[in-house]
Amino acid sequence: MHPLPAPTAVIADDERLMRVQIIDRLKEAWPELSILGEASNGREAIAMVRSLEPDIVFLDISMPEMDGIQAAQALAGQVHVVFVTAHDQYAISAFEHGAVDYLLKPADPERVALTCQRLRARLKQEPDTMTDLLAQLSQRLGAGGLKPREYMRWVQASVGANIRMIPTSDILFFRAEDKYTRVQTQRFEALIRKPIKELIDELDPDEFWQIHRSTVVRVDAVEQVSRDFRGRQIVHVKGSEEKLEVSRTFNHLFKQM
Amino acid sequence: MNTDQRSRGTDNATEPGKSDPASRPMGIRQALREIRKGIVVMWWGFFDWVAVVSWKALLLVSFLGLILAGIFKLPTLAFVLIIAAFIIKVVAGGKRRAERTANEATKRAETEQLERTVVEARMEALQAQIEPHFLFNTLASIDQLIQTDPPRASKMQQSLIRYLRSAMPQMRGGSRPTLGQQVNLCSAFLEIMAVRMEERLQPVVNVPEGLKSAVFPSMMLQTLVENAIKHGLEPRAEGGRLEIGAEIVDGQLAVHVLDTGVGFMPKGEGGVGLANVRERLKALYSDRAELIISVPPAGGTSATIKVPYEIAPTTPPA
Repeated sequence: MHPLPAPTAVIADDERLMRVQIIDRLKEAWPELSILGEASNGREAIAMVRSLEPDIVFLDISMPEMDGIQAAQALAGQVHVVFVTAHDQYAISAFEHGAVDYLLKPADPERVALTCQRLRARLKQEPDTMTDLLAQLSQRLGAGGLKPREYMRWVQASVGANIRMIPTSDILFFRAEDKYTRVQTQRFEALIRKPIKELIDELDPDEFWQIHRSTVVRVDAVEQVSRDFRGRQIVHVKGSEEKLEVSRTFNHLFKQM
Repeated sequence: MNTDQRSRGTDNATEPGKSDPASRPMGIRQALREIRKGIVVMWWGFFDWVAVVSWKALLLVSFLGLILAGIFKLPTLAFVLIIAAFIIKVVAGGKRRAERTANEATKRAETEQLERTVVEARMEALQAQIEPHFLFNTLASIDQLIQTDPPRASKMQQSLIRYLRSAMPQMRGGSRPTLGQQVNLCSAFLEIMAVRMEERLQPVVNVPEGLKSAVFPSMMLQTLVENAIKHGLEPRAEGGRLEIGAEIVDGQLAVHVLDTGVGFMPKGEGGVGLANVRERLKALYSDRAELIISVPPAGGTSATIKVPYEIAPTTPPA
């Protein structure tokens, strides 16, 4: 039996004041614990843990670049993790069943002492991989994990000299014009470089319909569909005088019910 | 038996008290009442018809009436009726138009009222939840500063009080919110965030004193500022600048929030707050207001709200 070396830790929080607070409390509760470094975002935390190889990392959950959950996923099994959070009720309920500990901000000295006591006991074992807990957390907090497909909600387009973000709900239709695609809203028109062919893949098919090789219309903006003297379907859109032709390929969209 | 017959007599005026003489006067009165009722109905029918019928049809009928009057030799009666019809047409036509306008106005007012109520209710629910994450983080920072830097702790707590106080009157509603109130709320918020984020947040508030009395809807500037921090500056390790500005452009009040953060994510989740602002602008001003999100050449995000420029009526201080 040889004596254990002094335990070490890394603190990660994007707010310096919060790092100082944790460090102060840890010094009171566990004087032997030596703090090897402070990180201000998830990426830094990972790099620091990998290079300094501490026994414990205190991870704030909401941090820039990469949040605490993602950092913990990257470090699973390499270090003992304690999450620090101000108010994440989902996270807290998840911790209660997990193998890892958590601290609530502002860190209460008695609670910190309890965490230190638990950590002392756990240091004798290998760090937990936290697989279930992290999966559960990332799902609840919406960080990483599987997400339903996201469609374009904003279109970035130049209006005059400016670049504007146009919400798709404002758009009446898209129309191919030479090298550009014209975005028409009730108030103005704008040009984007993305061709219709690519756009249609990124737009929500429930929101936008392609009615012609060169035209995509927002379904809710359609006022009526008429026929011209040659029997072609013509789409009339609310808020625009322009008439949009439906090509034969897309005729089925406006079949009579 | 007897009572049965009597009751039938009163019910049916066409055969007044066949078997019971006592019921006769009552039957006649009943008949007169029925006739009067009939005339009234016919009169209103005629009135309605005159009111609804087109002038052309009315002229045609009058002409036919004159011919018939010629045949039956009743020109005076015909003239009186025709003139009466024309007077009714003028008066009733106006009345009908007025009724229709009134109906439309009521319907429109009801819709607007409804929209306003819905929007206000939703707004109140929103305001009631002052981000707990923000509140707890701020309190944790104050707790730390009390030990390390008490004067700064006190300053931060005052900012928090100011923030909460200026958020409160908005919950109570009442007088129309001004740009000044919104800017104060956001300044307090930015002071708190600046203490927490330190050099990662450089706030600039650049709103001319003269525009602070302008009417500006509540909790919209706040949404833009929170978005700029949450989605623009916080995700960026080095942080950046956040500027609030206001100007008059073409008679409209344009208030913008500009940040030098990571830039707008077209597929990001931060759209809820903005969609809410958009919806409320539409309900409050229909097409006379708009929210514009653009990308400045230097990067980051710029959000501008344009509303009709209007000076708030002077209200006693809250």
